[in-house]
Amino acid sequence: MLNYTIRRLFFVLFVVWGVSVATFFLSQVVPGDPALVALGDKATDEMIANFRVKNGLDKPVVAQYFSYVGRLLQGDLGTSLRTGRPIIDDLRDFFPGTLELSITALLIAALIGIPAGILAALNQNRPPDFIIRFLALIGGATPIYWLAILLLEFLHNKLRILPGPGRLDAYLIAPTRVTGFVGIDALLARDWQVFGDSLAHLILPAFVLGAFSSALLARMTRASMLETLSQDFIRTARSKGVSQSQVVIKHALRNAFLPVLTVLGGVLGGLLSGAVLTETIFSWPGVGRYTTDAAISLDFPAVMGVTLLAGMAYSIINLVTDLLYALFDPRITYA
Amino acid sequence: MNKRLGAVAALLGIGLLTVGVTAQNSRSSTLIYGGDFSGLITLDPGQSYEFAGSLVTNNLYETLVKFEGEDLSTLQPSIATKWTTKDAGDVWKVTFNLRNQKFASGNPVTSDDVVYTFDRAIAMKGPGSFLFTSVANMKVGSTKAVNKNTVEVSFPKTASPAAFLNLLTFNIGGIVDSAVVKTHVVDNDYGTNWLKRNSAGSGPYVLNRWDQSQSVVLDANKNSRLLPRLSRVILREIKEANTQKIALESGEIDIADNLTPDMVKAKASESKFNVYKADSLNLQYLGMNVGDASPFKDARVRQAVRYALDQDGIIKSLAGGNARKVQTIIPAGLFGFNPATPYNLNPEKAKELLKAAGKEGGFEFDMLTPQGACLAGIPCADLAAKIQSDLAKIGLKANIKQLVDSELYPLYRAQKATMVLVDWSPDFPDPDGNATPMSDFGAKSLAWRNVWNNPTAGSLAQKAALEPNPSKRAALYKQLTELQLEDGPFAILFQPTVSVTLSKAVKGYLRNAQNQIRFEKISKQ
Repeated sequence: MLNYTIRRLFFVLFVVWGVSVATFFLSQVVPGDPALVALGDKATDEMIANFRVKNGLDKPVVAQYFSYVGRLLQGDLGTSLRTGRPIIDDLRDFFPGTLELSITALLIAALIGIPAGILAALNQNRPPDFIIRFLALIGGATPIYWLAILLLEFLHNKLRILPGPGRLDAYLIAPTRVTGFVGIDALLARDWQVFGDSLAHLILPAFVLGAFSSALLARMTRASMLETLSQDFIRTARSKGVSQSQVVIKHALRNAFLPVLTVLGGVLGGLLSGAVLTETIFSWPGVGRYTTDAAISLDFPAVMGVTLLAGMAYSIINLVTDLLYALFDPRITYA
Repeated sequence: MNKRLGAVAALLGIGLLTVGVTAQNSRSSTLIYGGDFSGLITLDPGQSYEFAGSLVTNNLYETLVKFEGEDLSTLQPSIATKWTTKDAGDVWKVTFNLRNQKFASGNPVTSDDVVYTFDRAIAMKGPGSFLFTSVANMKVGSTKAVNKNTVEVSFPKTASPAAFLNLLTFNIGGIVDSAVVKTHVVDNDYGTNWLKRNSAGSGPYVLNRWDQSQSVVLDANKNSRLLPRLSRVILREIKEANTQKIALESGEIDIADNLTPDMVKAKASESKFNVYKADSLNLQYLGMNVGDASPFKDARVRQAVRYALDQDGIIKSLAGGNARKVQTIIPAGLFGFNPATPYNLNPEKAKELLKAAGKEGGFEFDMLTPQGACLAGIPCADLAAKIQSDLAKIGLKANIKQLVDSELYPLYRAQKATMVLVDWSPDFPDPDGNATPMSDFGAKSLAWRNVWNNPTAGSLAQKAALEPNPSKRAALYKQLTELQLEDGPFAILFQPTVSVTLSKAVKGYLRNAQNQIRFEKISKQ
């Protein structure tokens, strides 16, 4: 298992290298002038030339790539053309927001989607199944934009039971940054008001993000459970008099969980890459908004930084998913 | 497990309750300003250039001179109590007398700070530095301290003293506390990395903190002579118009900066809100390339385009009335504005002009159009479609090519746009901010991009810029704007107004056409 993990981690490096090559050379074929975007339409030719020299944009593409890789090997993702800050500092600001939103959304999705899928499978072609399948269809088809505005309007504006956009109430000042996670920083500062408020602010955006994923998980869990429940070993267990709950939890769910686990990993990877719409509507400072702004500004170093981060996140999540397979299915071993 | 869940629920409840209490306590002394501030990348006045940066730095830093309220024609004292312009042979010398006042740090504001500020801005070569170097022809060393409270700026007579004084009201004129900034200089960076996220000014507010893409928190500067009425101003970044609307309705924000025209219209009829309409100095225009290979080479064709455009329809239907009809190159609100609008919708007259120019059968061309929203919040695609339809009525077939700015501007700047739908705004409230770029081919700006080389126009723009006598200057601008109306490469579409929606509790909100808002004048009831 250890050897396998090390081999896979080594493979992650290749993925990151591949991502760096692909994003770098793709960025070169995108039409437009990053210097002009950064400096604005009124910049003089001299200012544009100075900007190119300062940011190494005047060098040949291959030289730019090797210079980029050289810095990358030293842990330097470069400087954002738009914000003028080291990209690592920008990501330090934006990634915690995305991470806390993604994990909460995933939890919500799992807590809703998996039990719903099980319930639907156990009641195949009966009213609970129809209702869950209908809700899953609605959940999967509802535009995130629409759901977000709807929930903000009713739960925040009309009923006043949940807070509005942002990570904190506008009148509250976030505690001194330690981790970048507002809730954790509030705990460290023993600021209970900010802690409670930060949790409350997570609910709506995480629910909106989780709603779509929960629909996907419900459908996947249902299909996987139905397939497992029709297997011989389930019939055998039942014929031996094993209780329904034992059959479902101990035998069926454990076996049906592998495809669900794969979906969970994919969902988390997608969430970590940033949820542009949710982050925009809820004014949530995350990687999705950062990347969109960077892409619009032709801020290629920033786009490449985020892409590398996303590539690494996907690779590691896939690795963890694969390792978890062994936990759920003893037949799977890694050498 | 249940206990843990209970504890979390209790904390959530406490959080929500205490937020409510805190909100009540601080509501009257804190202003929450919601808007799209995503352009904010630095709070260094020597580097900031875009709207959000100006909005913040104008309240953190004072300039030598300033405009009051909505008036952009009369400069008022600020750090300088008085100033004189002297003809000193080859150069202009402008002398400023500074008042006795302090920075937020408690340090006195001296002439050395002014020298440091101007030289620093020039040396850093930031986005706004061209105002000092290209407009005022200044360089490092042009500013000298005469004594502790007197400072003198010299610049060649190729620059306009009026334009110089006007550009001082922009961000780049914000005076920094040199003693504080110098202590934060790292690797000859002029302290810009520190000043990006800190403040060292004498303005009515100081920076408490800036969380990128979230909020900027400003606290009243206790050393300011301007006595701000609110103890705290928070700029809350909300990009999405729907979210801004919801936040305004729920009381989460006091001001919504970017509601759509429809939303503004709806809010204007509600008793809880006021709508403030501010002028802007922006112009939405069509640029027509007059190069040899272009169908717009003949001035009569350009006139035909102006006669074909349904400006009133654009303003009424697309801009929802949030724009002013102008046809000359200097926007209303600036010295030298010419209100003439001789081109009323007249497709028949347009066809006659085309016929006279030998283009009776019409022609086909590409119209470059940006993506996203044009001025007054009109989707550029809608505006382009309206223009396309207007021009089709006189036989001109405009093929709309929608491009992102990063593709469109390189083409325009390389004289490769036959027709382009874009906008322009001056960086400082002086007619030269429009007149020279739009008229002087040698300035290598808008006239050059449209290959319009009219030596008379270039000469008029230069003369007007340097003319110290206001009535003579006004006469020169009248001549220039009339020449542009007849021969120029532009069809001005409209000058937008900016609609800001405010809670009724907000008092004293004023925004001038330069987008400056003085927070110290705002209060809440």
